[in-house]
Amino acid sequence: MSVIYLLIPLGLVLLALSVWSFFWAVRSGQFDDLDSPGVQILLDDDRAPPPAAPDRRDA
Amino acid sequence: MDHGPTASRCFHCGSALAAATSFAVHVDDVAHPVCCAGCEAAANLILSQGLGRFYEFRELPGEPVAGGTHSWAAFDREAALRRYTHECAGGERELSLQIEGLHCAACAWLIETSLRRASGVRQIHVNASSARAELRFDPHATTLSRLLARIHALGFVPLPLSFAGDAAEGTAERRAALKRLGVAGLGMMQVTTYAVSLYAGLMQGIAPDLEQFLRFVSLVVATPVVLYSAQPFFIFAWRSLLARRPGMDVPVALSIGAAYLWSVVATLRGHGAVYFDSVVMFTFFLLLGRYVEMSLRHRAGLQHDALARLLPDSSLRLTGTQAERVTPDELRAGDRVRILPGERVPADGRIECGSTDVDESLLTGEAAPRVRRSGDELTAGTLNLTGVLEMTVTRTGQDSTLAAVSRLLERARGSRPAVADLADRVAPWFVTGVLLLAAGVALYWLHADPTRAFGTVLAVLVVTCPCALSLATPAALAAATTRLARAGVLVTRGRALERLAGADHILFDKTGTLTRGEPRLEDLVVLTPRLAAADCLAVAAALEAHSGHPLARAFAHLAPAAGVSELKSVAGRGLEGVIAGTRYRIGRLEYVLEGCERAPPSPATDPGHTSVVLGDGAGLLAEFRLSDALRADARETIRRLTGLGLTPGIASGDRPGPVAAAARQLGDPAARASLSADDKLALVRSLRAAGHRVVMVGDGVNDAPVLAAADVSAAIAAGTELARVSADLVLLGEGLAGITRAVETSRRLMHIIRQNLAWAVLYNLTAVPLAASGLLEPWMAAIGMSGSSLLVVLNAIRLLGRTDARAESLPPRVTRPVPA
Repeated sequence: MSVIYLLIPLGLVLLALSVWSFFWAVRSGQFDDLDSPGVQILLDDDRAPPPAAPDRRDA
Repeated sequence: MDHGPTASRCFHCGSALAAATSFAVHVDDVAHPVCCAGCEAAANLILSQGLGRFYEFRELPGEPVAGGTHSWAAFDREAALRRYTHECAGGERELSLQIEGLHCAACAWLIETSLRRASGVRQIHVNASSARAELRFDPHATTLSRLLARIHALGFVPLPLSFAGDAAEGTAERRAALKRLGVAGLGMMQVTTYAVSLYAGLMQGIAPDLEQFLRFVSLVVATPVVLYSAQPFFIFAWRSLLARRPGMDVPVALSIGAAYLWSVVATLRGHGAVYFDSVVMFTFFLLLGRYVEMSLRHRAGLQHDALARLLPDSSLRLTGTQAERVTPDELRAGDRVRILPGERVPADGRIECGSTDVDESLLTGEAAPRVRRSGDELTAGTLNLTGVLEMTVTRTGQDSTLAAVSRLLERARGSRPAVADLADRVAPWFVTGVLLLAAGVALYWLHADPTRAFGTVLAVLVVTCPCALSLATPAALAAATTRLARAGVLVTRGRALERLAGADHILFDKTGTLTRGEPRLEDLVVLTPRLAAADCLAVAAALEAHSGHPLARAFAHLAPAAGVSELKSVAGRGLEGVIAGTRYRIGRLEYVLEGCERAPPSPATDPGHTSVVLGDGAGLLAEFRLSDALRADARETIRRLTGLGLTPGIASGDRPGPVAAAARQLGDPAARASLSADDKLALVRSLRAAGHRVVMVGDGVNDAPVLAAADVSAAIAAGTELARVSADLVLLGEGLAGITRAVETSRRLMHIIRQNLAWAVLYNLTAVPLAASGLLEPWMAAIGMSGSSLLVVLNAIRLLGRTDARAESLPPRVTRPVPA
């Protein structure tokens, strides 16, 4: 059982790391808008805009 | 022309298209009809930039785009730049915008992507949940007016916010709360793990040094939770003590503090029970409830913004012979202002010359536009529809009628029944009781057995800790609001649900609430064989295309006849114009009759409709019957609400005819017509005075005081922003079904809250005597406390229950085929 004396402090280090990264995430605004980013990955399309923005009515 | 499968709705804004329209946009060679030139321009702009995927992913259709006399030029003036933007490094400027018409992530993406491609834009971030944008641009490469015009061209209305820092404050508050919650949550996970081992050790035996180690580690993890996460409880408790009104935070802070200190002492001494798990869990659950409450509050937005939105972005100030565009807050009493048709009035004032129709629907009720002539008073925020006016400003800013409406709103809100604050009123007594009890127990045990005194007093404090009691309501409320949010109903004030459950009367506004709020051409009666129906429609459309009257919108989708000349608009009566050599008049019956050479017999009018008549010099040609169609689920909603035991009623400012017609279609609820805002307020007050609990469903600023006076208010999200802010419930989407859902959920909520409270009280009543008599060890009390809280939370989670709600109540997702 003595391994627990190593594992639990390790767990505490992990805990400190998670708190730190959570703080960082909150500070950098990652929790400010939970709605847009999830959909944005679907939206950002790689197609370039049509070069001279032609009037689509003539198409 | 192939109209595709979606021909009956506008491709851009989703309004119904009654007949064939000449406006269309082309997506990969498929023509999609749109309702008007504004929507056509917006859709073409979006498509030409290769952003057509917006139409696939948005959740609600856009707003119809007004033909727009918006002038953003006023924002380029130095004074406006100083007011709305602030300078950052490198001469760039930064500002916040509130964006009207923003419904979902797709809208946010559209604005971001489109603006990023504009030259001079350094940074743009649009937040979909708060409908705000942060924009940074280079004033040397572009102008602010150009960027605002670009957003407007996409079909949204940008509203620059002056730098008050409200938004930043809200963000900071939310971030701080989130950090506290995160620390408490992570700490809870760890401490609970150690606690499970310790409890297992109590039953099966555990090596003493391992036990001591686990307790010490728990202390290490629990310390930041108590000192950082639970800090607000200590601060609020201290403040309430200073104010001599001890609130619920006092026992909370006392329990957390005492249990933590006791545990620290026990850990350092090496014997005695520890309650780190209970302390941390308690902190986390309380913070969670408060966090949910706070996000709801923030989401409801700021009333201030909503009022500012009614003012025009700029108006034309006349000084001597010069005219310049200025923002409303630059106006002073005595200034002379010119107001063009389609512009909003920037301040209260008196008309110097000109006459017009004014749409005062937002302030006085939903009735037809009023005629205003030279010498009449104008109110800030009302809309000038037809004529060019010059007015002298009399009152601005805080003195204006608009500001008064806002103050009235605040007052009406302040006079809500105090029943809702029961918990706060009970708290001082409860706290005093607990402290007296603890003191009594301490005295007794110090006398009887001093060694057991501290443990027993702590057991009493822990057991009486209003943990379950204070969780019972917030946890259930949070679950209910989450469930309702999924069903498309936002709850902006937690207490509203408690009152909704007990409501027995529900009043609906008519226009824009039970109905869609947009006139539609219901029927065309051709009165002579001289002009065919199609020609009547074309002539009417051609004339009405030049009118700013709300009724004219009913004709906006029709293809107009070409070549109108000698157009003349008579405020409040109608229009006259010459098409292909014939002089036509359209408008009120009396007005059209005056234009006829000999008076023909009047047509029989149907009181259920609003009618517009078309005539020429020889007589009447056609009667157009317009009506505001009921929402598709209005009848079903009224029926189900009646089934739930509520008495439905209609309180409308509209004329009796249309109101009676609507009531007939809805299964005859009690209907009152021609009510002013004051009448409605009196109606709600009299119902409440008679002991009824009233729910008011409405929209519009004129409703705001009425909404605030009701026990519970609900607004349709499509309504104006102020109603959205002042209402307790906001129904998203196009339907009324959410209100039924809210009533059902609120009743289940009250049921569960009662169960929770009953359990909490029962637990305390049985546990307190046991603890006081010394039979209960503090650790048993702690297990009881945690178990009791857990039971209460689990019971509340039942409210989340079935998730069928979403599919039923959200509007159908707009998806259109756009081949890659």
